Amino acid sequence: MAFSVGVVLFGIGLVAIAIRRDLVIKLLALGLTNAGSILCLVAVGDRPDARVPICAVCRDAIYADPLPQALVLSAIVINFAILALALVFVMRLVERYRSTDSRHIEDLVQRDLDEGGGP
Amino acid sequence: MILAVLPLSRFVLGLLCRLSERTARLLAAVGWCISAALTIFLIVETRDGSTITVVLGGWSADLGIVLRFDAVSAAVCPLVLLLELAAILYVRRDAPRPLFYALLQFLLGAVFALLLSQDLFNEYVILELLTLVGFLLVGYDRRPTQVWASLKYLVLASIGMGFFLIGVAVVYRHTGTLNLGLLAEIVADRPDAPWVTLAATLLTAGVAVKAGLFGFSQWLPAAHSAAPPAVSALLSGLVIKMGIVVILRLSQVFPLGTTLQILGAATALLGVVYTAYARNLKRMLAFSTLSQIGYLVLGLAIGTPQALAGVLDYAIAHGLFKGLLFLAAGEASRAVGSGRFSDLVSKRAAIPNATVVALLVGTLGIVGLPPLAGFGAKAVLLGSHPNVFVVTILVLTSIGTAFSFARLLPLFRFRRTAPRPSKRIAAYAVLALPILFFVPLTGVTLPSLQLGSGLRPLLVVESVGAIAIGLLLHRLTERRAPRLPKRIFFLEEATLAILIGLLLVFLCLRV
Repeated sequence: MAFSVGVVLFGIGLVAIAIRRDLVIKLLALGLTNAGSILCLVAVGDRPDARVPICAVCRDAIYADPLPQALVLSAIVINFAILALALVFVMRLVERYRSTDSRHIEDLVQRDLDEGGGP
Repeated sequence: MILAVLPLSRFVLGLLCRLSERTARLLAAVGWCISAALTIFLIVETRDGSTITVVLGGWSADLGIVLRFDAVSAAVCPLVLLLELAAILYVRRDAPRPLFYALLQFLLGAVFALLLSQDLFNEYVILELLTLVGFLLVGYDRRPTQVWASLKYLVLASIGMGFFLIGVAVVYRHTGTLNLGLLAEIVADRPDAPWVTLAATLLTAGVAVKAGLFGFSQWLPAAHSAAPPAVSALLSGLVIKMGIVVILRLSQVFPLGTTLQILGAATALLGVVYTAYARNLKRMLAFSTLSQIGYLVLGLAIGTPQALAGVLDYAIAHGLFKGLLFLAAGEASRAVGSGRFSDLVSKRAAIPNATVVALLVGTLGIVGLPPLAGFGAKAVLLGSHPNVFVVTILVLTSIGTAFSFARLLPLFRFRRTAPRPSKRIAAYAVLALPILFFVPLTGVTLPSLQLGSGLRPLLVVESVGAIAIGLLLHRLTERRAPRLPKRIFFLEEATLAILIGLLLVFLCLRV
């Protein structure tokens, strides 16, 4: 169940990146795809009637697989770093082009390349 | 122990780089020496074809992270060292900030880590690290064109890595392990289980975004042509190959033969078409990377040990000549003030002769003139008896490459009055000498293979013939240059292209 929700979230994010032209919305959508893929990974550790994998709580009971939860921590940190850096770069683009529209920026960048030649 | 030191030493040095510019330069040299010593030691230890394996943290192999130094690592590590040395020598004149050296150290640490890694999630983390560092390096000069190129790179690479992560989740759900060796045994037992197809699709499509396959890596032309020269050389020569290394590891687990054949053919042909009609030197080099990646993927599709050796040799050869070409192209464009072919030719006098010689050596290498690097590696690959389809694509790509690089011909005129001497000859020499005196390295690291049989006279004829046909075509069609669609490299279309590519991979795997 949680796995399917993760896939759906990922899909929604992907469609939004593909059709929305605003860069900030694109980054929000990217955050959604990240959340979706992370949810998929967490869902994998689930077992029927499982409890949290903390020794003091579930000495002898069934507990959820702790490995995916450990993996997810790295994935969350990485995705956070990516989104933060991407936002900084969007800020730089806005400073230069006064726009967050990806199509518009693509045209302006092309014009910059054509004019400057660029090394 | 030594295996963990190889990548980790770079991360520690990277953190220390922030102290001052002099320390950073010193640490770059220290890092290179440490890695060189370790690499030589490891290659000598494994020269009989054995491998060295470590499981980190005292866990069992199915839970812990496995590092292994095998034939792949042994072949690629020397390339890493050569490219790093060339990049450091090249940027020395520009006096980059300490941050640049720090990023360089992180990049190389990640590269070494990936070469050793035998664990799917570990590979995910390292690929993401490569994305992040690559992203910062592409946008290093903060020019808006670079910022936009690297932003596209980041968004598309994250999408790819999202697919990869879901693939990791699928694998873990059905096998309970992420170790590639154990995984290969499990998949070999039940190769047609539905989850195998699903996992293989997600993992392959995900890493294809990083590996430079056409349709998946639409960020590549902009990012590799906009980046500073030394960074382009490292990205095109090295970082892209890390995606190929992961595909290589995946192809040893999952049955990817047909899929890779189709993806490789599409990449090689479409890449070479775009290479032929690019108007800017660095952009042409970036597109040519795409077509050469197609070459490598086709080699992986063959899958025999000799083909694998050919792929490794070609990856090394490509790293050498593409690195050299990017470095020289960067200096030439900077001297002229523009990277367009028309400007380069009209202002040929402004380009130092040493730079042009470097371009010439790189060009001869990439078109596969015997006995230079491109030919030597291609001979190993073609010596593995691929099927007719693969051979046709390989020959067509060779012709296309010769056709594209024929446009550099007007640059190769040398005059007595040298305009100004190049200050980067040391960097060029590091890469040019191995190209000129290329020995297929897998002949050393994989002694069990009989590679001598690969150098048959027929291959010389094929290679020289392809160059001749390419030049002839260039003569015939000199004035015609069609406008190729550019929109497929925009962010939105590129996202859709990844989705379509994913479906294509799935269909290929189902058939």
